[in-house]
Amino acid sequence: MLLHYVTGLGIVIAGGVHLFTVFLTGPYLQNLAFSGGAYSVISVYRNIILAVTLEVLLLFVDYHALNGIRVILIEFHQGEAWERGVSWTLIVAGILLLIYGTRTILIANALA
Amino acid sequence: MTEPLISELKKAFRGWFLPFKYNLERWAYALQRLSGIVVTGYFLAHIVETGNVVGGLSVWSVPSTDMARDIWTATFHFLDNPLFDTGLVVIGFMLAYHTINGIRLTLAEFGFLEGKASRPDFPYEAKSLSKVQRAIFWLSILFAVATTVYAINVFFGV
Repeated sequence: MLLHYVTGLGIVIAGGVHLFTVFLTGPYLQNLAFSGGAYSVISVYRNIILAVTLEVLLLFVDYHALNGIRVILIEFHQGEAWERGVSWTLIVAGILLLIYGTRTILIANALA
Repeated sequence: MTEPLISELKKAFRGWFLPFKYNLERWAYALQRLSGIVVTGYFLAHIVETGNVVGGLSVWSVPSTDMARDIWTATFHFLDNPLFDTGLVVIGFMLAYHTINGIRLTLAEFGFLEGKASRPDFPYEAKSLSKVQRAIFWLSILFAVATTVYAINVFFGV
């Protein structure tokens, strides 16, 4: 539960930076174009600080969201099989999402 | 313990997400959970969507920039319509409420700004929801509404 609060506060900071770069640094449509502006998609991934912020955000949101789902589901029903099934499914889903998201960040950072 | 799983889950769901006859704090927590679930759904969709920046699920090494640009532009054009923009406005509301109320809950977990416990007298209001906690809750509603207005302005130009 403590990690839930810590990741929550981390998301406020990293998510704040992410939303700032998307919405508050120029026209929203320009920031969602592939390239062409200072904060367009590829420019953000190539900036090492913003890319690391996105990776940290991915990790924190991944944990916070899936642990939140786990807390809700286990509060509905407690039992060996139920708890094990819920925990393992969510852990596997979390790891898959983390791998896919990190792949996106690494490859986009390396795009010429 | 002896009732079947499905009926227990149904009762638990109704108790948590339809907390009629409970106080404000319980409703705030129910909305916190609901907004958490909605935003988790958005998180999954967002990871899939941003995966298309480099070309999608089949790309595991650095592709050509042109292919990535084409696939991302096509994805963005698919998503740039009023239906999904409305969805984003809803997500904005949920996320803003979840954040500020989450801060209120974090403070409460560590004992800050709670009301003092005392003998429950009529009308038996929960002492835990002190004035400052209640103020932060209404701040979370205000922030969520402000975010919604801003989002409508960004996406629909109103």
